[in-house]
Amino acid sequence: MTRVLGWLAVLGLLAGLAAGFGYAPSEAVQGNVQRIMYLHVPSVLTAYLAFGLVLIGSIAYLATRRPGWDRLAGSAGELGVLFTGITIVSGSIWGKPTWGTWWTWDARLTSTAVLFCVYVGYLLLRSLIEDPDARARYAAVVGILGAVNIPIVHFSVKWWRALHQPSTILGPEPSPIDPAIGLALFVNWIAFTLLFAYFLSRRMEIARLEGET
Amino acid sequence: MMPANWGYVIAAYGIAAVALFGYWRRLARRARALTARPAAKARAA
Repeated sequence: MTRVLGWLAVLGLLAGLAAGFGYAPSEAVQGNVQRIMYLHVPSVLTAYLAFGLVLIGSIAYLATRRPGWDRLAGSAGELGVLFTGITIVSGSIWGKPTWGTWWTWDARLTSTAVLFCVYVGYLLLRSLIEDPDARARYAAVVGILGAVNIPIVHFSVKWWRALHQPSTILGPEPSPIDPAIGLALFVNWIAFTLLFAYFLSRRMEIARLEGET
Repeated sequence: MMPANWGYVIAAYGIAAVALFGYWRRLARRARALTARPAAKARAA
């Protein structure tokens, strides 16, 4: 199953590259640099998914004390940090030619940086506690509290004046994106979700083996 | 319209590719180490 997911992710990523660089047109104002969106937006959506799973795994662990839920939360937390890191770096690279700066303390950027730091802290906490039960318990509490940041990041562009544009997908209004650009974004989002599922499956298996040794 | 800025596009995708490939390599190495350990133990016994 994991191997199949891996090959599906590879095919998805190739299809995503073809859609983003071959099928989707060059954006009218930004030109080719807008193609970073096919990496940036799927990365942040994958990070939301990962941190959502940290929340689910953490609540379920505290309710049931089954180690499988802790493995899910810990594995998803690691992947969330990876995809948030890609989001921040790709956004920074996109910001330089479009905003004229690599970084600004805008609400969206700052809240994303806080989200990143919270889950780096979550991983540090997991690595510092040796007793598996105590580690799972403390990590679950941080995993639940950390999830408060997810809606703050997402709605930051609505709640505060921000340089970052408002949500063009996952927003209340119909998306104004050109259909070809929207399709390329959708293909890349599916590809990133498949890649996430593959990584999560492998990471959880490693966590299971680590628990046995 | 803005200039092509392909350098920024290549940098963003390049860094992401290195990060994702690096993570995949790390997982593969860790899985190999963990599955080799019980096999080595069994051989020693």
